[in-house]
Amino acid sequence: MIIASIDYFDYDENVLLTKTGGIGLEKQDKQQVTRRQFLVYTLMGVGGFMLSSITLPNLRFAADPVLQPKEGSDLINTNLKVDELTNEPKKVEFSFKQKDGWYEKETTQFAWVYKDENGEIIAHSPVCKHLGCNVEWNSSENHPNMYFCPCHKGLYYKDGENVPNTPPRAPLDRYDYEIRDGYLYLSTRAKEVKG
Amino acid sequence: MHRGKGMKFVGDSRVPASHRKPNIPKDYSEYPGKTEAFYPDFLLKEWIVGAVFLIGFLCLTIVEPAPLERIADPTDTTYIPLPDWYFMFLYQLLKYSYASGDYNFLGAFVIPGLAFTALLLAPFLDRGPKRRPKDRPIATGFMLLAVAAIFYLTWEAISTHDWEAAKRQGEIKEIVEVDKSHPGYEVYQQQTCISCHGGNLEGVGTNPALTGIDRTADEIKDIAVNGIGSMPANIFNGTEEELEQLAEFILSVNESE
Amino acid sequence: MLTKLYDWIDERLDITPLWRDIADHEVPEHVNPAHHFSAFVYCFGGLTFFVVVIQILSGMFLMMYYVPDVERAWESVYYLQNQVAYGQIVRGMHHWGASIVIVMMFLHTLRVFFQGAYKKPRELNWIVGVLIFFVMLGLGLTGYLLPWDMKAVFATKVTLEIAQSTPLIGDLLKTLLAGDEHIIGAQTLTRFFAIHVFFLPAALLVLIGLHFLMIRKQGISGPL
Repeated sequence: MIIASIDYFDYDENVLLTKTGGIGLEKQDKQQVTRRQFLVYTLMGVGGFMLSSITLPNLRFAADPVLQPKEGSDLINTNLKVDELTNEPKKVEFSFKQKDGWYEKETTQFAWVYKDENGEIIAHSPVCKHLGCNVEWNSSENHPNMYFCPCHKGLYYKDGENVPNTPPRAPLDRYDYEIRDGYLYLSTRAKEVKG
Repeated sequence: MHRGKGMKFVGDSRVPASHRKPNIPKDYSEYPGKTEAFYPDFLLKEWIVGAVFLIGFLCLTIVEPAPLERIADPTDTTYIPLPDWYFMFLYQLLKYSYASGDYNFLGAFVIPGLAFTALLLAPFLDRGPKRRPKDRPIATGFMLLAVAAIFYLTWEAISTHDWEAAKRQGEIKEIVEVDKSHPGYEVYQQQTCISCHGGNLEGVGTNPALTGIDRTADEIKDIAVNGIGSMPANIFNGTEEELEQLAEFILSVNESE
Repeated sequence: MLTKLYDWIDERLDITPLWRDIADHEVPEHVNPAHHFSAFVYCFGGLTFFVVVIQILSGMFLMMYYVPDVERAWESVYYLQNQVAYGQIVRGMHHWGASIVIVMMFLHTLRVFFQGAYKKPRELNWIVGVLIFFVMLGLGLTGYLLPWDMKAVFATKVTLEIAQSTPLIGDLLKTLLAGDEHIIGAQTLTRFFAIHVFFLPAALLVLIGLHFLMIRKQGISGPL
């Protein structure tokens, strides 16, 4: 069989069919790039350039919150005299301005604060370590003197340690505190307690 | 179809001059029974079903307004969240001790992950040629199990949720500006009523509002002293005169509405 | 007049074969509820698509009033539901439609599963179908936040906590979804809005297109 006057490549075999006729004339060196392959590679290259030029700025744009530097934690006056604290955890509210994107909003947080046996102040974050609901002190009749989370019945002891076999996986976070002029200052962000 | 150099075009455009496709319906005789054309025969039947469905659907939108709770207050500490109903089974799963706590990874990722991956890859897991459910008991069994689990977990989540409290928590509250110069307002503050019923009697968390209530002065006094529902007795410990002022104040707010 | 217009277009674009292929395909008896009442199980897929159309339409119209901003989202939803004529119906369609579509899709999935209709050669269409299911759940999840009411924010909080409990990339994932490390606020709402209104619907339309293309190509599965 003779194919005359056809100039195309058999791309799979990388075999040149020449105008002079005949099939499978010479197997070309596999390393050598044919004209068609060259065009395809260049096309892919230009396409890749266009695609990445469009998507990369967008992806960086979308990922910006992740790459923002971590904000520090400020200490906020709770207007609570340290003398008023007792052994019993007390709900202490404190407000501060918080930046939320393009807004700056007054935000109120609260902490469960008490003095332990050594007179040390403990300020627990109320945010349950399971799924972020708020825990309440002593709010469950079946579990007195514990922090109770109403969402999935998570429990914590008074020292914030999670009760085993309840949903939470870690003890309650703690706020940093400072005492200035007898008033309690709490940090805006709570820290994890290594259990 | 004519291709290549010999193709005739209309003027200079690329529209071929002739060679229209003949409009012959395809032959589908592989399935038993009577077949019918999609348009208009079968589509009409589909649209009848669609219309009946739509009537029911529109009735639903008219009878039951889409719920809207009060504006989000992320600092509200007492709100008990609940996902949309079709996520409830996953939410409920996380309540069990072997799916939470130290096993959270199991409950939140492994179990749902396995289930959904199995669903995705069902054609490759259940490869036999047989199609009837009873001819492939393993596939049928697993699916029935999964459906039963979803129904059970959803039902558990619904039945353990305190819907009454949820309704109160989410209610849109009309904030009525109360007369804070009223002598009763001072009593209201002093007797710590304010911490549960709010600065404008709007109620805090699950504690009810004191606006829009239908009670007499004596009833209000009685509740203040003896409590009601989850409100304990003896929260009020002032004088008889203060009690009178308090009741008068609460009544005045309700009358001015 | 219309016929002439049609002929004019058809002469130039040859559109007849395009719709003829869809219009003239034969529908077998076993899926026809007029012949066998039990064939109503074949309607769930079509009804799912019907509700999707309702969702897209009502969603487009809801956006005429809705503002995706923490300060105004709730107000705008309250306004469009209570002040705008037929607001209750339009929002009702979108709200209840979101639930109904899940129900219909669930039933459709069960029908295909128990009939073994996903078997060779229809494996790919099953996979596309399950992907549609995931996209729908994503739409439900992101749409739930948009009214910015109590249940919206707290349910989202829980969702984000679950995302955060992913091993290794949890914190990253949460920040990426919420737009902030700690706050569920302005940036969370705009992100969910963009995902709900543009990203997922785009994916959904592509997947539905593929789903239908494959059904036309392969035809419906035979009777059991």
